[in-house]
Amino acid sequence: MKNMKKTTRKLSVTLILAILIFLFALAPVFSDVPVRKEQLIYSILAFVGKEYTGTFCRQDADTFYLMADVDNFITIRKTLVYFWPITQDWKVDTEALNIPFEGTLIIEGKDIGKKEIKQVKYTYYNAPGEYEVNWKVFTGKDADKEWQKYSKIVDAYWKAVEKYYAEKSKYEAELTRLTREITKARDEGKDTKRLLAKLKTLKQPKEPTDKAPKYYVKPVEKAFVLNLPVGEYSVKFINKDGKVMEGSEKKIVVFGKRRSNGIGYDVIPGDKWTRPVQSATPSSVLYIDGTTDLYLRPYYQDEFNDLYYNKMVKNDAKGNPNIMKWVRIQQVPKARVELIKKESSSEVILEKPYYVQQTQGSSLGYKIVPFDPKKYEGRQPSLRAFKVPISRNLRSLKFRLQDKNGKYLSGSDREIRIIVKSNLQIILLILALFPIGLMFIVLAIRGRKYSSG
Amino acid sequence: MNYRLNSTGAIAKRKIFETFISPGFYIALSIGLLLGYFVIGGFVDSIDSSGLNYSLNSIYELIARSLSGAFGETFVIKLFAEGPYLFALFVSFIPFLFYLAISSVFKFGFEKKVGALELITYGPADGTSYFLASFVKDMVFTLIYLMVLLVFFFVSALINNLVLGPMFFYTTVMMIFLSFAFYGYGVVSSVLTDTASSAIALFLGIALFFLIIQMGSFTIVSGYVRNLSTVLAWIIKWISPVFYLDLGMSSIGYGNVPMYLLSMLLLLVLTGGLLLISHLILKVRGVRV
Repeated sequence: MKNMKKTTRKLSVTLILAILIFLFALAPVFSDVPVRKEQLIYSILAFVGKEYTGTFCRQDADTFYLMADVDNFITIRKTLVYFWPITQDWKVDTEALNIPFEGTLIIEGKDIGKKEIKQVKYTYYNAPGEYEVNWKVFTGKDADKEWQKYSKIVDAYWKAVEKYYAEKSKYEAELTRLTREITKARDEGKDTKRLLAKLKTLKQPKEPTDKAPKYYVKPVEKAFVLNLPVGEYSVKFINKDGKVMEGSEKKIVVFGKRRSNGIGYDVIPGDKWTRPVQSATPSSVLYIDGTTDLYLRPYYQDEFNDLYYNKMVKNDAKGNPNIMKWVRIQQVPKARVELIKKESSSEVILEKPYYVQQTQGSSLGYKIVPFDPKKYEGRQPSLRAFKVPISRNLRSLKFRLQDKNGKYLSGSDREIRIIVKSNLQIILLILALFPIGLMFIVLAIRGRKYSSG
Repeated sequence: MNYRLNSTGAIAKRKIFETFISPGFYIALSIGLLLGYFVIGGFVDSIDSSGLNYSLNSIYELIARSLSGAFGETFVIKLFAEGPYLFALFVSFIPFLFYLAISSVFKFGFEKKVGALELITYGPADGTSYFLASFVKDMVFTLIYLMVLLVFFFVSALINNLVLGPMFFYTTVMMIFLSFAFYGYGVVSSVLTDTASSAIALFLGIALFFLIIQMGSFTIVSGYVRNLSTVLAWIIKWISPVFYLDLGMSSIGYGNVPMYLLSMLLLLVLTGGLLLISHLILKVRGVRV
């Protein structure tokens, strides 16, 4: 009896300890629930040079950043704002609360004076073409028209697809029925001529010729369209009652690019094809260990203030106000890369499709091979790039870019240096310590001179 | 004027000789080169198939993380765009610059305190020729050190297949003029104070103030620190050598050579102004403590 009591007590203590440990483990889960605060925010759809990106300016932030001379879309709304510690950024909970306000924006600035801006309907899309960036913006009635035009194309496409699938399923059902009947007739020894003739007349429906639009038109919404020259502006929101909405007074920093049409490269090492690095600084040197080939993807880039650009993309981001950064804008169409291995010899390489193939056997890995459409039928190339063959024996090579007309693009020059760790490092250490040795010699000479003098 | 030039030359020669036979110069030289050696070695160790990978070298990872955290990723990318030499130049040169400036400031204060300076002024020299001689000595050793550093970097570039890029050369030239301005502040600190320790304290205070304010305006932390630094940097920019260094470097980064040259000229003007102020102070205060 005593033993049983002891065992029960031990079990109870263990159970209580287990519960306590479990609760301790759960504690961070409950303690980290972010506090949501109701705030008036500026919801910003900013053009960032290559696309439209959404961010928001919370009540505590006094400034938001926009690019000059392009259309940006602003809405004012009340929502719940919270800090998400895992990603260390501010987020909005628009599912719980999302009240957009109608009214007028008052913007004041040196060059524009005082300007009243009303909400308008808008839409935009990136028109397909030779360049990646070809944005078109429509406002007011034009926005409605563009949306209707796009909706018609999409509707027509989906109707054609729907019709095709309905016909296809009808065809397949008829085919199954006829096949069964023919089999049954054969089994029963009946004449199948009529059925076979009917089977021959069956025609498979054709896929719709209308292709889906290659672009996406944003559904029409209402916003304040801000297209301002470079400068600093103050902004406030006047609600329908004609009063300034509390917490709506902000500063807008509108900035431009310092330089445009620079050339940057995505540099993809053969052994890490999913982790390309960027070579953005013109005339910079790319140091590599030479263990794998490189694949290059050139692009146009523009130069912006680091802080302004980062804050335009995400209002609570950090950045350096005294430094300019290059931002990838779009690919260079039909470009060619000229490789210069020695001053006298050069080679022009073209962009080609490549396929990433898993290696067979126990060694996990992959290799990048030229994409053969026959061999890889029904698949897409893994990457399109300019292949630069690299070897450890090569000390350096230079490359630059030509456009489709064969003209060299300024700022496209780069140098690749292959670093092979040298055994001569000891020479450097000896050189660095040489002054100390010299010091002893000088001190010895000085000592001898003083003692003899 | 001629006698002052002669005495400046004579004192400068003596000071250069003294520095050559003292161990401090060689130790500072070795420390600077060793720092450069570690920066270059760490860079070479951090190279993999895709380029510079800081995580391969623990010291570089620490440096890159600290610099990224303070000044942003773009700053670090630009710093190492040509290779390790721009960073190595700063790391190797700045300690040597401080060594030269502080040793001159100390010596000026010490010789003033023991009356050696006063003794000289009874002869053919005056206080101005003394500090000019100090300044000349610092200039000469800066040029010698930069030449040694260039040779060292050149040899390391040959051994490791690295490049001394254009930005490195532009900054090296800029460093000469930057150091002149700092030596100018060293002279002002010396003539303004009575003892060696107070002169060093004043010089370090001025130099660190300029450095911290300029670095503060570069930080990516938003709010009070940067706002204050930006305002202070704007106020003191015309008298801050570090501002001209930033102006010159950012101008050359943008391809604006005239502005780069102008920033060096302005550094010379600042140096000249500081030496003139020192001369006027000495005229009023004299060399006696």
